[in-house]
Amino acid sequence: MKQIPDKNILLFKSCLVSIEYPGVESSTTFVFDKIGVDYFVSREQTCCTGLGHYSDVFDQFTTTVNGARHFALSHKLNRPNFAMMCATCYAINKRVANLLNENDELRDSVNDVFDDCGFEWMKYEKDDITSRENIFHVIDIFYSKRKEIAENIKYDFSDFKIATHHGCHYCKAHYHDTIEGVRNPHIIDDVVNACGVETVGWYDFKRATCGNGFSQRFVHKDLSMDATNDKFKSLKDKNTEILIHLCPNCHIQFDRYQPYMEKHYGEKLDIINLNIAQFLAIAMGADPYNVVGIQTHTVPVEPLFDRLKLLSDEDKKMIIENVSRKVDLDNSADFNMEADTIKVDFKKGAK
Amino acid sequence: MDEKFEHGSLDLAHFIMNDIKFAQGENLLKCVQCGMCTSACPGAQHSDYNPRDMIEYILEGDNSIIESEDIWNCFYCYTCHSICPVGNSPCQANQVLKQIAIDEGIADEHLRPFLGFGDSFLNHGMGGIPQNFFKEMREDIGEDWWEFKNHLDDVRTQLGLGPVYPDDDSIEEISTILVKCGFKDRVEKIREIKDYEK
Repeated sequence: MKQIPDKNILLFKSCLVSIEYPGVESSTTFVFDKIGVDYFVSREQTCCTGLGHYSDVFDQFTTTVNGARHFALSHKLNRPNFAMMCATCYAINKRVANLLNENDELRDSVNDVFDDCGFEWMKYEKDDITSRENIFHVIDIFYSKRKEIAENIKYDFSDFKIATHHGCHYCKAHYHDTIEGVRNPHIIDDVVNACGVETVGWYDFKRATCGNGFSQRFVHKDLSMDATNDKFKSLKDKNTEILIHLCPNCHIQFDRYQPYMEKHYGEKLDIINLNIAQFLAIAMGADPYNVVGIQTHTVPVEPLFDRLKLLSDEDKKMIIENVSRKVDLDNSADFNMEADTIKVDFKKGAK
Repeated sequence: MDEKFEHGSLDLAHFIMNDIKFAQGENLLKCVQCGMCTSACPGAQHSDYNPRDMIEYILEGDNSIIESEDIWNCFYCYTCHSICPVGNSPCQANQVLKQIAIDEGIADEHLRPFLGFGDSFLNHGMGGIPQNFFKEMREDIGEDWWEFKNHLDDVRTQLGLGPVYPDDDSIEEISTILVKCGFKDRVEKIREIKDYEK
């Protein structure tokens, strides 16, 4: 497995997390503090341009200059390791790093802009930041800290039907970089599994888009919602009660638009949505309103708490042992990462 | 930085291959028209968009694809990109086609609803959903969402988070940079009502 940093991290703010689901950020920092990740959030950071970029308003050059400023900022703060809370921030910044490192002419043009503006400190040198060594999604860091996650859980989610959605710009845009599967993405399943919970695993539309499609949700709403309906039908086939994802744009589609979907497609869905950081924060005992931010959700999260049970010491011990064994196996030289996930079912004990 | 596409001067496929939005290089030319892209495309499943056909137009140098309305149904989900057996990316080729259409001034109506993203970045240093969509979103999502939007700062304070926007110096910095990149001019040019529209 590639090296995933846990120090000198710049936790990169996401516009949609900030304005739609701020509890994702507070949950991420809550979990990072628990599992020993060194991070910093900077008010000098702007955002990745993603929403505008994928609505075609931003051109690639402008997005690249904006990205180069963030790379300079990360060095100024001595935090060259990026952790993204949004799949599109992840894809955009990886692309920017690759372009700046591989295209000399473009890099010179970017630096000319900084020269013209008098911002010398922003100038980019080849390989200041590399896509594979410096740019990660928060999920990658959680994945690398599964043992620490297991040690910190307090609540038992194993009675819920939980499915995962991996976010296109996380698992498809830079598919050579993706950890734990592209054809069958399962990194979120593996992190959920570190809490002693077996997910529903594969479902028909698992790797399909949430349906937001950037401009599509706004200007071709029927097209967008038809794609989302494919996803929801497939999730209902598995009797999904909680859907866990890693991108705020997917979160909006599945959560904000769920009542709209129910009305227009005539089926009750009742699927609670959580970002993986929110799920982990709840499992670790975080306050639902002061940390997880469930008051910002459209589909009520409260019903979940009625069925949540405290983990017994005995079960927790078994989870820690099994997760530890699985992580060691995943890290062994002959492990096939494209194979199906190995699940930890603590109820049946170590096998 | 971005080159402008000129009809007849450079064929479409080579223009796309050399555009900085396209990362797959010569793999564009390796397309064998297998149709994997179209079979997995959400746009193709629910509209007339067909990424395989789009690539065929490009490889045949048929520039009429630039004016196609169907290309605006791509979700940018990169599903085609992730499964293409020759490492091509219809999704990225689509993005370059749209940039050509924008440069030619024939895509303004597609972009105008989203100019708020640019304005927000220039004025506040970050994106966010443009306000022109709020009315419809409020109808679709409900009053609880609207109530939350109006109390965002309170919720953020409750969660121990700082202000939404970057600090003033950083906003000024990025705004200066965006103007120098030509981004502000690009936004204004798209917004401007053209003679043929009057």
